[in-house]
Amino acid sequence: MRSYLSAFRLRRKMELQYRGAMLGGIICQVVFGLILIALYRALYAGKPQTLPLQHVVTYVWLQQAFFRMLLASDPDLLDKIRSGSIAYDLCRPLNLYGFYYARIMAQKITGSLMRAVPMLLFASLLPEGWGISLPASLPALLLSLLALMLGLLCVSALENITMAFTMRTLDPRGIQAMLNLLMMTLSGNILPLTLFPDSWQKVITLLPYAQLLDAPIRLYTGDVPVGEAWRILLIQAVWIAVLIALGVWLWNRHQKRIVLQGG
Amino acid sequence: MKTVRLYLRSMKMLMKCQLEYPFSFFLQTLAQLVMEGGEMMAVILIIDRFDRVNQWEAGDLFFFFGIMSVTFYLTECFGRGITGNFPYLIRTGQLDTILLRPRGVLTQVLCSAVDPRRITCIAVGTVSLIIGCNLARVQWTGLKVLAMAEAVLLGAVLILALFVIEAIFCIYSVKSVELVNALSYGGRSACEYPIDIYPRPLRILFTAIAPFALVLHVPAAYILGKPLYAWPEWTAFVCPLAGAVFFGLIYLAFQKAMRFYRSTGS
Repeated sequence: MRSYLSAFRLRRKMELQYRGAMLGGIICQVVFGLILIALYRALYAGKPQTLPLQHVVTYVWLQQAFFRMLLASDPDLLDKIRSGSIAYDLCRPLNLYGFYYARIMAQKITGSLMRAVPMLLFASLLPEGWGISLPASLPALLLSLLALMLGLLCVSALENITMAFTMRTLDPRGIQAMLNLLMMTLSGNILPLTLFPDSWQKVITLLPYAQLLDAPIRLYTGDVPVGEAWRILLIQAVWIAVLIALGVWLWNRHQKRIVLQGG
Repeated sequence: MKTVRLYLRSMKMLMKCQLEYPFSFFLQTLAQLVMEGGEMMAVILIIDRFDRVNQWEAGDLFFFFGIMSVTFYLTECFGRGITGNFPYLIRTGQLDTILLRPRGVLTQVLCSAVDPRRITCIAVGTVSLIIGCNLARVQWTGLKVLAMAEAVLLGAVLILALFVIEAIFCIYSVKSVELVNALSYGGRSACEYPIDIYPRPLRILFTAIAPFALVLHVPAAYILGKPLYAWPEWTAFVCPLAGAVFFGLIYLAFQKAMRFYRSTGS
């Protein structure tokens, strides 16, 4: 366990190196947030919906703030496979899946927290109707934080499954891009899942992609009342178990067949 | 003329390169389809839920999305050299090799890459345009075709200019400049919808600073028969020239920045 923790810590330190590039990223993300909110405000002005506008605004800010949690992948592994230095990793007395799981989790946590904190501060200073609103209640906040943690475990497991494909094909850009883009749409980043047709939502919210950010946000805004939170947490837990099991299986299988390049 | 021939020649060569790995190419093209398909699905779902925004009905919204998507991805496809890894050339010092050759810098960078994977994005945009035209019952005339062609062409020029800004930043600071993305990609996202639904600061940003609204929205609104801000007809042909002016200004700034360029790398 200790070794995985240190893999986590090392990766976190590396992610912290890029503070300069981060500022530009934050400003860019804020502009995107403002554009989306302006769009939804105009749409709501024409035809108000049962879902309050303030919930949509909060949804957009939380999505933008934790954007980095969705799209952050580890480019090292691909390089290692291409250059053959994956051999060193195979020599470590560690489970490779766990090692990369810890790394990707560190990257996602650090990357998103560094951006989320300043962005959410900014969003909370904006006037009513533009800024983020407070959580529905204290239990709702705590539950949504718990759901966010579970969502993080879920997205890291997903990322590891994508990486398992990397081991097989030397050019994984196609598969990787497709999985990432599916994630953008189905996690509610392009359009809040709460604005999807109601009949679609019943299915989409069950998919793993909805567990990453959509589930915690719904708890935060109170769209899902505290009493029903157990259902979300249960779905998340089931997905984590399934995705990790699938990932471990794929990694073990591909690891046996891996062909070392270079030399 | 020679430059055009050179460009076409490199395009042909680069296309061949891309098709060397057909399966990977196919998957990446498919991925682009998923991406732009997802964007278009958002528009469909928004129209399904909200019906319209102000005076803009479903057909109009599809048309605005389509014209932006076609313009942006045509640029990304044929201008990939500039929209893709221009900052990377500067950061790694590879620009030096370009400086040695007897052709303009921008011409050479433009000739350095093509991205045929975007074809699926362009296709999605085209479908959206056709749906939009049908729903809005656009009556095509020679003038409208001209306005459309002008808008797409100058739109591409405007988008190229926005990416050259990124390169200029890079010459001065040699850092990744996500900030400029707020203008280029942010402009794309915002201007997939008609400009007049946005509050004043955003309207100014995408009219006066990065003039997407002048280049794309004024002619689009003219084609749809609902002139933006009730401006007269001739503005649909004059306003897009803002794209060329914008490019001219950025080009001058780029020339100035090139004098400052100091090679990195070894």
